[in-house]
Amino acid sequence: MSRMIQISLPLFIVYLALTGNLEPANLVVGALVAVGISLLRPQMDLQSVALKRLPRFLWAAIRYIFVVAGDVIRGGISTARIVLDPALPLNPGIIAIPSGSISELGTALSAHSISLSPGEMVVAIDDRGVMYTHCLNVDESEKFVAEAQSLRQNLLSRMFE
Amino acid sequence: METVLQIAALALMVIGTLFSFIGVIGFIRMPDAYTRLHATGKVSVFGIVFLLLAAILLTPLSLWKGLVLILFVLLGSPSVAHSIASAAYRIGLPMSNPARDDLKGKMEQGDGKD
Repeated sequence: MSRMIQISLPLFIVYLALTGNLEPANLVVGALVAVGISLLRPQMDLQSVALKRLPRFLWAAIRYIFVVAGDVIRGGISTARIVLDPALPLNPGIIAIPSGSISELGTALSAHSISLSPGEMVVAIDDRGVMYTHCLNVDESEKFVAEAQSLRQNLLSRMFE
Repeated sequence: METVLQIAALALMVIGTLFSFIGVIGFIRMPDAYTRLHATGKVSVFGIVFLLLAAILLTPLSLWKGLVLILFVLLGSPSVAHSIASAAYRIGLPMSNPARDDLKGKMEQGDGKD
């Protein structure tokens, strides 16, 4: 039951956001669609969040969103600067970054936010959660990546562990 | 109020178009598949987010619909960049002047001719 709510509630919110219509008829349709889809779902092993930990989860989630948003902005601007530089200052390579996370979801979210951060993009992930990351500037990324990853990992572990 | 909104939307549109344009320039200037993905996957996405923000202000697109679209773009683009890069490495596309390659020998690779 709680699994069903976990899937159908976000679906319901997305449906309302996309239709932008709060009339009762639309609420009923949205609820039916959300519950229907949650019944069709494959068996997924979602991590549940206990109710008493919800405030902590939300606080960590909001901070995480701000960290990622900052990464998106810096990533866009710094990559644009490299593109427009007449000398095209590239020093590309693939470096290994341990995600430090045990769960698959944690590793996936780490890989997602690394791919959004400046000059880095995950190419492959192995079984132990090591992320092989392509960098535009290897030396610079290697200097900052450990710090950035421990910040992300800290927030992710507050959310899911 | 109307004018202020229109000016803000115009500014967002100019920024968005500029970043999309820089993304295309990057795609042309970068030397190999991996670095090109940085240009399209980050700079262009930045441009799309700004264009969507302008669309929220200027067109009948509602705020929530726009924010959900931005969320989907931000969720989708790194996944797409990752899967293209992964596929490129798997078929053995070479990097131009790699400084180092920690992944070498750890993944089954083709000869780059597929």
